[in-house]
Amino acid sequence: MENNITPYDIIAKAEALRNNLSTGFRDEIVKSIYSEAESIAQRAIKTASDKKYDLDQKIDRLVTSPWTGLPIMLILLGVIIWLTVSGANVVSEAIATVLFAVGDLGRNFFNSLGFIPWWVTGFIWDGVYLGLAWVISVMLPPMMIFFPAFTFLEDLGYLPRVAFNMDWLFKKAGAHGKQSLTMAMGFGCNAAGVVATRVIDSPRERLIAILTNNFVPCNGRFPTLIMLATVFVASAFPAALTSFVAAGTVVGVVLIGVAFTFLMSWLLSRTVLKGEASAFTLELPPYRKPNIGRILYTSIIDRTIFVLWRAMQTAAPAGAIIWILANIPYGDVNLARAIADWLNPFGLLLGLDGVILLAYIIAIPANEIVVPTMMMVYMGAGMMIDGPSSSGAIFDLLVNGNGWTMLTAVNLMLFALLHNPCATTVITIYKETKSWKWATVSVVITLGTAFLVTFLTASIARLFGWV
Amino acid sequence: MYYFIAAIAVVILVFLPRIGLLALFKDYRAAKEREQVEDALKHLLDRENQGRHATPESIAGTLDLSRDKVTRLIEKMEEQGLIESRGTDLSLTTSGERWALHVVRAHRLWERYLADEARMPLNRIHGEAQKREHSLTEAQLNELDAALGHPTRDPHGDPIPSREGKMNRAEGMPITAWQADRPARIVHLEDEPTLAYQQILAVGLRLGQDIRIIEKNQKRYILSDGESEYKLAPAVASNVYVAALPESEVLKREAIPLAELLQDQRAQIVTLDESVQGFTRRRFLDLGLTPGTTIYPELTNFFGEPRAYRVRGTSIALRNDQASQIWVKPI
Repeated sequence: MENNITPYDIIAKAEALRNNLSTGFRDEIVKSIYSEAESIAQRAIKTASDKKYDLDQKIDRLVTSPWTGLPIMLILLGVIIWLTVSGANVVSEAIATVLFAVGDLGRNFFNSLGFIPWWVTGFIWDGVYLGLAWVISVMLPPMMIFFPAFTFLEDLGYLPRVAFNMDWLFKKAGAHGKQSLTMAMGFGCNAAGVVATRVIDSPRERLIAILTNNFVPCNGRFPTLIMLATVFVASAFPAALTSFVAAGTVVGVVLIGVAFTFLMSWLLSRTVLKGEASAFTLELPPYRKPNIGRILYTSIIDRTIFVLWRAMQTAAPAGAIIWILANIPYGDVNLARAIADWLNPFGLLLGLDGVILLAYIIAIPANEIVVPTMMMVYMGAGMMIDGPSSSGAIFDLLVNGNGWTMLTAVNLMLFALLHNPCATTVITIYKETKSWKWATVSVVITLGTAFLVTFLTASIARLFGWV
Repeated sequence: MYYFIAAIAVVILVFLPRIGLLALFKDYRAAKEREQVEDALKHLLDRENQGRHATPESIAGTLDLSRDKVTRLIEKMEEQGLIESRGTDLSLTTSGERWALHVVRAHRLWERYLADEARMPLNRIHGEAQKREHSLTEAQLNELDAALGHPTRDPHGDPIPSREGKMNRAEGMPITAWQADRPARIVHLEDEPTLAYQQILAVGLRLGQDIRIIEKNQKRYILSDGESEYKLAPAVASNVYVAALPESEVLKREAIPLAELLQDQRAQIVTLDESVQGFTRRRFLDLGLTPGTTIYPELTNFFGEPRAYRVRGTSIALRNDQASQIWVKPI
């Protein structure tokens, strides 16, 4: 008799039985797994005293209370940015000296061979190599400071508390509290911030975090902000305070970026990404003594090298294009200057100028080269250059030589904060969302915001006759 | 010469197999026709479930088509052996019914998926499922069914046909026929007509909610879930289907939502709300929020939410929306 059972009978039987299952049978399965685990744990694990827990509780109360929690957050943000900015400066110069010396050697070697035409030497050493060297020397040091500092806070267990503190604001914007973590990551690199949104498990909120991550300036954009802060703001303060004032100004700009993040998240969650905030769960792990080895490994290998490698792939062609633009004559000037002149009316409309727009078009692959490209065009050089060494001389070059005003400085800061993501980030957005549509949207909303805001500030400033 | 090349390019563009304009247009037409046939089949099934026959007029009304087009559609469906007509009355053949059940199953599985896994707002899932129900094959549908864990009801409480094409009738009755003093559970919200459904959602009623009739007269119905009151016109109220409370409800009666627990007050989880399904429920269970677990709030954000709860030796922060879906009993 038994042999007469066919697979179809089994399926039919299963089908019939399934209909009799109560809806909660899945809950029952999980419940029994947990009680099994509990009984094993009870036999195998000895619980230590509650001292550790009490300490954790005290720290938690401290970092989440309104009077101490918010200041602690802001101070930590300020300290990390200051560390990154001031520490990176020294290392950057050292790396640049070495890499540029290697460039000189290479150029001299090519020249000494005698049979290589000047444009081959120029293209390779003043174009491709210089682009690479610049991006490495500007990008590597801040990342090597920022990422370990960030990973330290992550390992300590502090970051989930930030998400806990900030969630009420994100909820109002229709977003997820963990977006604050991806934003913090964005300070290091927006591409890394976009990848970090994987911690947000609901698709709608994750997309919001991806599309708005760019409103947090990554440290590739810091050089522009710092140059402006030093030349236009900090010059009014005593020299000893320069780095603090510069860091303070950058923090101020960062807070404007955070405000735009909330505004855009709110707009997105009420228009294209409509919907209620869905399931929010956030684990607050116990505080741990950070593991230095792991911090260095995660921050250097997983984050710094990963980002640097991607940036180098885009920096080399950018260096090549810059060199070509600077060395092809067009009438009395070079092609770069000619394009900048052509862009100038549009730039002025936004309170910027043609050179700035050109620098941002060229810097689509990597924002690190915005300042050197601007300096190159302003000074009529044939390759990217550092610009004058003192902030007074830079001020002179920009204001007296090229017609900058306070409006130009302010609007450039805003533009640097709000403009489109770099190529690496756009490609990362595509990889994370598997959709060119969302990659395009990320460019459109950021660039649109940047144009709109700079146009408004320029118009208002002109209307009131401030410039 | 150039004209010749241009002409050839145009010809290729139009007549290229599969990706030419003509081929694309044919594909579009075929998809459109399939959609119409399937919508008509669904309409017929719907009518038969109500014990009525469909007519060409009713099809024209539901599908928003002209009489000519409906006549052609019916002729074609008869040719394919999907429907039979007796006078103006139309009825499904066996193969027509099988196909109709397939479409209904696709629609309701899609709704389940959109609500539980994509977590789309309830008022949008019907429209979205309406678009997607035509695109899945039988095999794909079985996979979707299995991935969702063989659900038996869609988010509105309607039964989902099994793969053999069996369908359990929706239980329950309109609240307008319910005895006034008996507590009831909402087992189904009729999603057509859309206007009435939107109104039901707008006042805040949802599937699985336990309610009581407080007042009923010819002008309006007032329902209460113990916290808020919901006012509905009788015509709208008749789209709310209710049934008696299940026994497990007794548990919930003595419980309070986790969100209402005071700081450091210990409690035991009684049950997760029925309205939490799919992704969110799995998430809760994975975090160890299973019935019988001890839990207490240990940290509150200075703006009231989220709150962190200690459960099984870890701290888990939940917003109040989530914490209201977990029922606990203080100990």
